Amino acid sequence: MAKQSRRDFFKTTALIGSATVGLANSAKASQKNALSEDRAGVLVDTSVCIGCRKCEWACKTVNNLPTDPLEVYQDRGVFKKHRRPNDKALTVVNEYPNTTSEKFPINVKVQCMHCDKPTCLSACIVGAFSKNENGSVVWDTHKCIGCRYCMVACPFQIPAFEYEEALKPDIKKCDFCFERTAKGKIPGCVEICPVEAITYGRREDLLEAAKEKIKNYPNRYVNRIFGEHEVGGTSWLYLSNRQFEELAFPKLGKDPAPGVSEAIQHGIFAYFVPPVALYALLGGVMWLNKNKKHTDAENES
Amino acid sequence: MKSKVLILLLTIPFFVYAQNKLSKQHQTQALNCKTCHSCDIPTKENPCIKPCPRERLITIEQTPEDAPAVLTIDKLKKQSDIYAPVVFTHRLHSEMAEIGGGCGMCHHYNPPGNVVACSECHDEERKRIDLSKPDLKGAYHQQCINCHRGWSRKVECESCHAQNDSVKKATKTTEKGTEKKRVHPKVKPPEIVKYDTPKTKGKVVTFNHVDHVNTFSVSCNKCHSNESCNKCHAKYKQVSISSRSANEKHTSCSNCHNVKVNCSYCHKNTVAAPFNHKTRTGFDLDKNHSKLACVRCHVEKGKFTGLKTDCSTCHGTWTKENFKHSVTGLLLDEVHADFECKDCHQENNYSNITCKNCHEDITYPKDKPGKMIKNRQTLAK
Repeated sequence: MAKQSRRDFFKTTALIGSATVGLANSAKASQKNALSEDRAGVLVDTSVCIGCRKCEWACKTVNNLPTDPLEVYQDRGVFKKHRRPNDKALTVVNEYPNTTSEKFPINVKVQCMHCDKPTCLSACIVGAFSKNENGSVVWDTHKCIGCRYCMVACPFQIPAFEYEEALKPDIKKCDFCFERTAKGKIPGCVEICPVEAITYGRREDLLEAAKEKIKNYPNRYVNRIFGEHEVGGTSWLYLSNRQFEELAFPKLGKDPAPGVSEAIQHGIFAYFVPPVALYALLGGVMWLNKNKKHTDAENES
Repeated sequence: MKSKVLILLLTIPFFVYAQNKLSKQHQTQALNCKTCHSCDIPTKENPCIKPCPRERLITIEQTPEDAPAVLTIDKLKKQSDIYAPVVFTHRLHSEMAEIGGGCGMCHHYNPPGNVVACSECHDEERKRIDLSKPDLKGAYHQQCINCHRGWSRKVECESCHAQNDSVKKATKTTEKGTEKKRVHPKVKPPEIVKYDTPKTKGKVVTFNHVDHVNTFSVSCNKCHSNESCNKCHAKYKQVSISSRSANEKHTSCSNCHNVKVNCSYCHKNTVAAPFNHKTRTGFDLDKNHSKLACVRCHVEKGKFTGLKTDCSTCHGTWTKENFKHSVTGLLLDEVHADFECKDCHQENNYSNITCKNCHEDITYPKDKPGKMIKNRQTLAK
């Protein structure tokens, strides 16, 4: 299944005949053991981050993306603009002014949050995304048809598309260093961080550590861990000394985003009710029109 | 079997000795075991140390000279191939720390006894079980960068590290020998600090530093705590004073003074003269009182007015029985020792001395009713 090419996929879909049923099943199947208790996470403490951008460099290096030499990353001029991860940089650090102590601006690292209930996975019509047991949400180039639904669906606007690649464009996003962690290593960004503003570990342990920090330093942190409940929980968790909305975090509810769309999909579209109803309606209109034409023609003659 | 018993018997004293040695260090600290240990009987193998921060922070005081002058921090050498180990001027930093908070500024939560290195508590491995505290690399950098970036506003690695594979390696002169000689010059406290306030009336506030330190015995860290280098080295001038709220501006004074009433007490039109107890209050702190702490007389906390200048206000009523006259420097001779106080000192004023009650042609201090002594005995109370 994993080595399935695009052509194979179309073949299988055609063979199965009922496209909707087949896709719904394959999409569901790709979320294997999604919520293992030992799944990994990363805790980002924005009050510790110094904005050195070493993580940006390390990310590019471990992902074999072209990068400037390390010294170039000392340029803090890039903070003038708020950036978003793209196909050339899977993680970026942004800066926000600190109103109480201007010497210590607040830096926030942005990358894929690796949701427990990923919307990208739910939105992907070909099942190119999968949520792994270790918490990572990864994307399979062999299945992707380039529809970019994942980009629209993601509540954090993370997946990026290689627009400059004419022939084989990929969707690019952080894969939680899937290959490194499989070998027992830690993600590249976590490894290089000089101040350990990003801590890698079991998600459960990280939540406990974060709660302990909030308890010990109530004046330093707002009493909230971003990602604990947002869109059903994310693998990456954030601590902050500011309200998260001030740091351009999206306002999100506790319900996983796929919950809404999938409820509609699986509710209304169950048993082909909408297409059958639509065709019945159109058929009815046609039949009525046909009858009308008939009577008109009879009247004229 | 016999030999095993013998070995056992021989080792018992060793364990007892080891335990005693440890508890000796603990004894001097007057600690509650539960402050640091979570179990009832901590052992060397299982000390069951509570994670930091503990409810009561324990820390140690040493002089900068007790500590190593220069340290090469190379514990993470095997982890990094980009940057060379840092040569850390420990003496210089501990001298600078003296004004802010001493050893505890970096060696936080230090157990009693010796000062321990960062690596005692912080894991060298980033992938670890205990996530409650940063790993060693994180701990080092957080400790250094938080001060250094306040000072230079830069976080670039080359301020501390030499790069391993670059031309810059040659230019960075972090040689142990030269670093050893670097010491922080002794901090010379200012005599007075003059503040120009935006107030139209009473523009000038004079802070008499010498008085606060010497006369009022205010300890340095009462005002100076957790200060960074740029308190003095204002490379980037601190937030301008006007951008702080009135409350913030007064905090350093309001800890001791009530700043809500009587602004003119501090806000004057010219620089105020140093505190002089005689001119300010009318009571001369002569040689007998100049060394006393303020609270010895001003018992009520924060209240310094309304105290009468009579000796009896503090000392109670003196009689010839309860007062050892030699403390004044004058040992009364046998004849005069039997007199009541009021025979020479009139109306409870002990600086007013008269001889007229008995003598007609004698006056004090030309003639003395005893002999002057040098070794004055101090009053017990």
